[in-house]
Amino acid sequence: MDGTCTAEALVSAKPISFLGGVDPADGRVIEKNHDLCGACIKDKVLVFPHGHGSTVGSYVMYSLAKKGLAPAAIINQTADPVVVVGAIIADIPMIDQLDIRRIKTGDTVEVDGFKGVVRILKRKENLGTCT
Amino acid sequence: MYLTREEESIYDGSSGWANQTCIRILVRLGELFNAEKLIPIDSAHVSGVSYKTLGDAPIEFLRALADADARVKVRTTLNPQSLDSHYLGKKLPKHLQEPQLDILKQFKRMGLTQSLTCTPYYLQRPKRGSHHAWAESSAVVYANSLLSAWTNREGGPSALAAAIIGKTPDYGIHKTENRQPNVTVKIETKLKNETELGALGILLGKTVGDKIPAIKGLPTTSKDRLKQLCAAIAASGMANMFHFDCSRTKETEKLSVDSHQIKQTIEELSTAATNQPDLVFLGCPHCSLNEMKRITQLTEGKKVRAGTELWVCTSCHIRQMAGDYVKKIERAGGHVLDGVCTVVSWTEKLGIETIMTNSAKTAYYAPTLNKAEPLLAPLQDCLKAAFQG
Repeated sequence: MDGTCTAEALVSAKPISFLGGVDPADGRVIEKNHDLCGACIKDKVLVFPHGHGSTVGSYVMYSLAKKGLAPAAIINQTADPVVVVGAIIADIPMIDQLDIRRIKTGDTVEVDGFKGVVRILKRKENLGTCT
Repeated sequence: MYLTREEESIYDGSSGWANQTCIRILVRLGELFNAEKLIPIDSAHVSGVSYKTLGDAPIEFLRALADADARVKVRTTLNPQSLDSHYLGKKLPKHLQEPQLDILKQFKRMGLTQSLTCTPYYLQRPKRGSHHAWAESSAVVYANSLLSAWTNREGGPSALAAAIIGKTPDYGIHKTENRQPNVTVKIETKLKNETELGALGILLGKTVGDKIPAIKGLPTTSKDRLKQLCAAIAASGMANMFHFDCSRTKETEKLSVDSHQIKQTIEELSTAATNQPDLVFLGCPHCSLNEMKRITQLTEGKKVRAGTELWVCTSCHIRQMAGDYVKKIERAGGHVLDGVCTVVSWTEKLGIETIMTNSAKTAYYAPTLNKAEPLLAPLQDCLKAAFQG
């Protein structure tokens, strides 16, 4: 989808439901047991496999955007109707059909929605050993 | 995706932001599902009307669309709301009523009919072979399976976009080759009533996923009863239609359902440990005129017991035709609520903790959407529980 941006990535391995899963008042993920629970999606390049849940989720994305709480861009493994429609009405650049495992939380990424290209500009510095 | 010159011009913004946003939704969804073009629709049916399920978020978008002069191009009906002005509106606080009225106002500005029903096919029956963009899942299965009218299962926003453009992307069940059955289900028991048909729906929804079942061994029965199968199969799964006979089915996966499975499904859905429920609810999906008549017959000379409420939900359209029935049901102490869906109403704010119903769809949703324990039983048993003595 149209639009470009450069921002920090916030990556989830789990599907996101914008209705009930994200607080429309502050942009934080509130779904219990979600790997992003507590994280704020505002101005991030939000990376997750796909959306799920009610189609009202599209409207929640519009509402977040109106309050300045929307992600700067969305990258999905597979696009689904809820997120696709939400990205259009909220004017959020979106790319799908991408191996999202290659992006890590904290990476600085450039998203070009016109060309459908994602560039990892800077990896997050490795602060410790991950196992 | 192929766009006509006119569609392309709307896509580029010549008809303003509202139309541009709507056609972009349709084109992007079309691309997602490999549609080659947009096709005209006869009608649209929009879900996402109840303030309880919507919350505040959509109001802004709906108002922005209406402000930008979005107007529907085809006849467009609306799903039920969270309360009515006659009964529930008087019991619930203002802060729940005003946003609901605001939502309806924005839809009205865009030209949607205030039908407020999940059974739009009772208002105007769609023609065989006609294309639609409907978003109420029970009505989608009813239209495809019982009326041979063609519609995908839309979401609230995509149905609204289709209504405003008057078209829908040509994919899924709009194509003949995607309407063929791909799983055969043999019913090895005689399904006795609407509740058993609903239980079959819940069971099939869970097992067939988004496949199209050909169901062998369904009883010869009314559309009113089959409506329960339509609603339930859509609630627990993603099936958009079913077929009755298997004559056209080639070699497909085969399943069978026996009486034990039906009984077990009804038991699993009936978690309330009482025979005096707080609410007895009939009308999911909304009652037809015939169902109103049948309820009235079973209500004659009876009185609803203290501590139990009886709600009968239907559309305003059917209510107007059912004047005498409404009077009789209300004389017996029941409430005929029009334009309301109990599942998306504020039952928990009225102290309702147990709901008895003949609808498997309601029983399936009540624990999460109403925070209530359901009891699933046929119409006569529901009414028996509602009355004194």
